Amino acid sequence: MKKFNFAWEHGVVVFLICVIGAGSLMSPYFATTDNLSFVLQDVGEIAIIALAMTYLIIAGEIDLSVASTLNLSSAALGFAFRNGISFEVSIVIGLLVGLICGLINGYLVTIIGLPSLAVTIGTLALYRGLAYALLGNEPVNELPDAWINLGVTNIPNTFLPWSVIPLAVLGAIAWVVLHYTRIGRWTFAIGINAEAAKFSGIPVARMKLALFAATGLMSGVAGVVYTLRFASASPDGAVGYELGVIAAVLFGGVAIAGGVGSLWGVLAAVLSLGAIRSALQLADFSANALLVVSGALLLVSVVVPRAIVIYKGRRKSVVANK
Amino acid sequence: MRSLVQKALRVRELPVFIFLILVAVVTGTANHAFFTLSGLQDVLLGVAVIATLAVAQTLVIVMKHIDLSVGSTIGFTAYVLGASSSWGHGLWWGLGVSLGIGLLVGALNGFMVAYLKLPSLVVTLATLYIVRGIFNEIAAGDSITEDRVPRAINFLGLNTFYGIPLIFIIAFALMLVVGFIMKRVRAARDLYAIGSNLPAAELAGIPVARRVFLAFLATGAISGLAGVLLLARFNTAAANSGTGLELNVVAACVVGGVAIAGGIGTAYGAVIGAVLLQTITLALGALGIPQFWQLAINGLLLIAAISLDRYLSSRVKPTSIMGSN
Repeated sequence: MKKFNFAWEHGVVVFLICVIGAGSLMSPYFATTDNLSFVLQDVGEIAIIALAMTYLIIAGEIDLSVASTLNLSSAALGFAFRNGISFEVSIVIGLLVGLICGLINGYLVTIIGLPSLAVTIGTLALYRGLAYALLGNEPVNELPDAWINLGVTNIPNTFLPWSVIPLAVLGAIAWVVLHYTRIGRWTFAIGINAEAAKFSGIPVARMKLALFAATGLMSGVAGVVYTLRFASASPDGAVGYELGVIAAVLFGGVAIAGGVGSLWGVLAAVLSLGAIRSALQLADFSANALLVVSGALLLVSVVVPRAIVIYKGRRKSVVANK
Repeated sequence: MRSLVQKALRVRELPVFIFLILVAVVTGTANHAFFTLSGLQDVLLGVAVIATLAVAQTLVIVMKHIDLSVGSTIGFTAYVLGASSSWGHGLWWGLGVSLGIGLLVGALNGFMVAYLKLPSLVVTLATLYIVRGIFNEIAAGDSITEDRVPRAINFLGLNTFYGIPLIFIIAFALMLVVGFIMKRVRAARDLYAIGSNLPAAELAGIPVARRVFLAFLATGAISGLAGVLLLARFNTAAANSGTGLELNVVAACVVGGVAIAGGIGTAYGAVIGAVLLQTITLALGALGIPQFWQLAINGLLLIAAISLDRYLSSRVKPTSIMGSN
């Protein structure tokens, strides 16, 4: 008989269902399509970046500069548009800037060989600083109405915000690539043992460079979504998002030590955090409760798997003693 | 004599220190106001908080761990110290509670990292959130204004001793104490062993869990008491006090030669790193470079520092986010 293996991700999905149930009980507004639309819009940027961060953490690296990259690509978009470049081209420039930011991180980590935690703390400051240098104290607010409307309205005849489209497309690609292709298997292999992966012929450095570049590009996409949603490009947006992204990825069952994780777990975690946020807001809890809950969930996500390991280890040793 | 020179050349903090002098000299020749007493005081006043936290963080980073929760802890205790009088308590009560908060957060981090063997990055990221959330709930939009700051703390922030700001003297004294302990006390030497080779440290009979726990406890306690300095420095405290400081602190350590890969670095280096970052920030202002560039240059400097360190050391390539094993 095949034993059902209860993974952490299943727990996250159960948790999500519980949150939705509890939220519906707490407020009649929670389970409405209006609120669902709001939650999806609210988690959009974090979800898009989390797609790439999942790969990066599985491969045993980390990127703390994602919020600054998001911000710099938003600033570049605004700066280009303010200087007379058409909005469509400005968006491409924003995306390119994100990609370049990611490539710089990847270059420093893989070619120069620096630890990614330290590098991306550095580029966190660097990219945010460049955004300030680019825009100064003047945020760009006069963006074309047709584009801004995409950021705040729903897809016609549905309750889904437009940001769901990039999220769904990118999410589907990320899912398939991670779990059904060679690149995905390489990502896991690198995270489990980079040395062994290298000797098995996996181009470890090139893979890591590509993953950093992809994370930068996703942050760029999130930057465009962010710009449209807030109808503004300013140098002080999205501060601290990096911690939100990492918290969501880790709560979704990706191990910080690398080698373990799944994309649907991460997406369930992003939605859980969004749903909790909405439920707490509707129940008149302050934003502080959300901070405490996020932190507690993060702790639970490392404590519980660890406790299971310890428990199983004990049981095994008891069996062995008999 | 030669051996002294050779010894000096091997000091890890030397390049950073020379660079610091260079920055100061260049800025000073370009703008003479920078070399005045008030220019120096600005640097020392501005650096005291980060330097103190960096000294505490050194204890953790040499073990190849990290403590991201310090910004929340220091903000919380700065607020508690300011609010203690309006809650009907004195300064000593505030200090006691600040120490208690620091010890509690440190013990929590230490317990989970040392005994449950959980990754410190995740654990302290979680406590960063939790402490900030509890703090903001208690502060609830209230902010400490100048008139509520205890007189003794106000005094610390405004006064100097022979021209040196009192809060910097406190930070400096802490650096000397921690620096001495980390050089001379065996239990503190063990932290280096744990950071450079954990399995070897365990095999050598070092009580690793206890050491890790105590180091996190000490970091928490220092960060808690450092609330005094934060409150003294700004004379205000609010729900966002201390936000984001953790990254500045780690940056100061790394610039000062405390390797994120563990096993290397001193409290002196951490303080030099903090002073360098602060000097550059102020130097940019003195050189007339728009302050918008400050953050970017700080980031560049951090990357340059770790690149240089990587170039100078012949250690193996890093295999994890914390660097080489």
